[in-house]
Amino acid sequence: MTTFHQLPELVSFQDEPRQLPSGVVGKDAFLRLGFERRGDRTVLAHLDRRAPLLVQQALYWDEALPDLPCVFIITTTGCILQGDRFNIEIDLAPDTRAHVTTQAATKIHSMDANYAAQTQSIVLGENAYMEYLPDPVIPHAHARFVTATHIRVHSTATLLYSEIIMGGRKHHGEGELFQYDVYSSTVRAQRTDGAELFTEKFVIEPHVHNVRQVGVMGMYDVFANVLLLAPRHHTDKIFSQVSAVVNLEEQWAAGASRLPNDAGLMFKVLGQESEPVRAKVRDFWSIVRKTVTGATVRSEFLWR
Amino acid sequence: MLTLTRTIMSIETKIVPTSPGHSPSMPEVIAPPAPGGNGESNRTPSSKTPSQDHRLTIVELMRVLQFGDSMLPVGAFSFSNGLESAIQHHLVHDLETLRQFVLTATRQSASSDAIALLAAHRSACDHDMTGVLGADTALFNRKMNEEMRTMSVRMGKKLGELSNHLIQASLLTDWLEHVERKETPGTYPVGLGLLFAGLGLLEQDAFAAHQYGTASMILSASLRLMKIHHFDAQAILFEVNTTAEAEYERASRATLDDMATFSPSLDILAAAHVKAHVRMFMN
Repeated sequence: MTTFHQLPELVSFQDEPRQLPSGVVGKDAFLRLGFERRGDRTVLAHLDRRAPLLVQQALYWDEALPDLPCVFIITTTGCILQGDRFNIEIDLAPDTRAHVTTQAATKIHSMDANYAAQTQSIVLGENAYMEYLPDPVIPHAHARFVTATHIRVHSTATLLYSEIIMGGRKHHGEGELFQYDVYSSTVRAQRTDGAELFTEKFVIEPHVHNVRQVGVMGMYDVFANVLLLAPRHHTDKIFSQVSAVVNLEEQWAAGASRLPNDAGLMFKVLGQESEPVRAKVRDFWSIVRKTVTGATVRSEFLWR
Repeated sequence: MLTLTRTIMSIETKIVPTSPGHSPSMPEVIAPPAPGGNGESNRTPSSKTPSQDHRLTIVELMRVLQFGDSMLPVGAFSFSNGLESAIQHHLVHDLETLRQFVLTATRQSASSDAIALLAAHRSACDHDMTGVLGADTALFNRKMNEEMRTMSVRMGKKLGELSNHLIQASLLTDWLEHVERKETPGTYPVGLGLLFAGLGLLEQDAFAAHQYGTASMILSASLRLMKIHHFDAQAILFEVNTTAEAEYERASRATLDDMATFSPSLDILAAAHVKAHVRMFMN
């Protein structure tokens, strides 16, 4: 269990909201998704949820992978508020596959007390395959958000995990970019036997350290962090198809690197707007899906 | 007379114009009054509660100079810490962008590498090999970027071999054997922490040498990669050194779990460098 209140980046944000206190009923969301194999397809066999997180049911919308349950995570409040504590657990039994996304962008509202926190636990059994591709996160001015994700994967399993962070509400009023207080994200990955693979922690504090500095965000406003945990024979093929590009004319940059301990690849994208960044993530996703499952990625829904 | 004290460097700065034709300015030292002290050398390697009036002996100071020097044969000369790729992709193209690049690299170093370095130094002072190995693995597992990971373990092993050649420190030898048996990754900051503990130097000294090394590696590469005046490179180094005290304050309170970086542009540049066909520097 992560003890968020001890994190150095949250030291200044321990006061309780004057509304509902942090983590009480209505601010203590829980979601557990358990996928199991039934015949030739995967089903969402276990579903526990507590508001404001909601999942209704798995849908089978992907024609290229008709056995693939697709799940929308919904936040019934429509956003993340100060004092919110979200806990998400996703479990894939051996030989299952699943696609999990969100219904809309995750808006992290402005805060004047406390912070919002999220824990995620993702476990993939033997030969499991999961695409976890939520919509972008939009931190509003003075938002404080910390997320800690614990991944455990079998050496034969594949997890594609993406996090897209907007600089803020770019077109709100005069523009609201990098005015949030803290965005802290930690992903710790292990094998199912407990062997450590890697830990990535990044802390963005735009009021403390200038994000515009060369080497940090520079001129870019949107950042995608994609992790691919997969067996070496897949990642070798995928790595050879991903080129590292810094395109000054179109104002985007992207590149992949091998993760420690043969865990897989990381793929990072920087851009000015969400669409081109999402398109690059989608390209990477297409290569991964094609290599690992042989299937193509469906065309984007018209309404998204 | 300027006396080196246990603060890394306590100075006031004032902004003065630097060489003609360049806008960024170089801070100038106004030498602080030398604090009192009797110059005795009863310093212990214990790094936890350094006394403010402990000074370096001449030998200790010269050890810090030797192991903080860019001439140290650990391979720093072959690496540019991502600068070559940054220049190729026009992110760094003048003095100001170079200055920002160096500040970003030293910030990342202080918020990640330096925490492992301090943990290794503290464990070494407690003769705790498990703690040293824990710091080594924790840091390696947080180096998401292949190029930086490779650089750290190549330099780490070299530093271990060199140190083993120069001094007798059982913990260092033990660590190097672990590295050679591939039982621990052998990262450079952990090696430097062990070496400084073995020399009886404080953790502040190790921290200073490490921060200095990060900046000087990039700046020495910059002299070979772009048109830049030596005086201007020194001005950047001088400015970076003034940030070290505050960075040490933060790093000294952090735990291994707090190690964090945020430099997506550097990560993408490093990815581009690995895939580049023409390179002067190693990856």
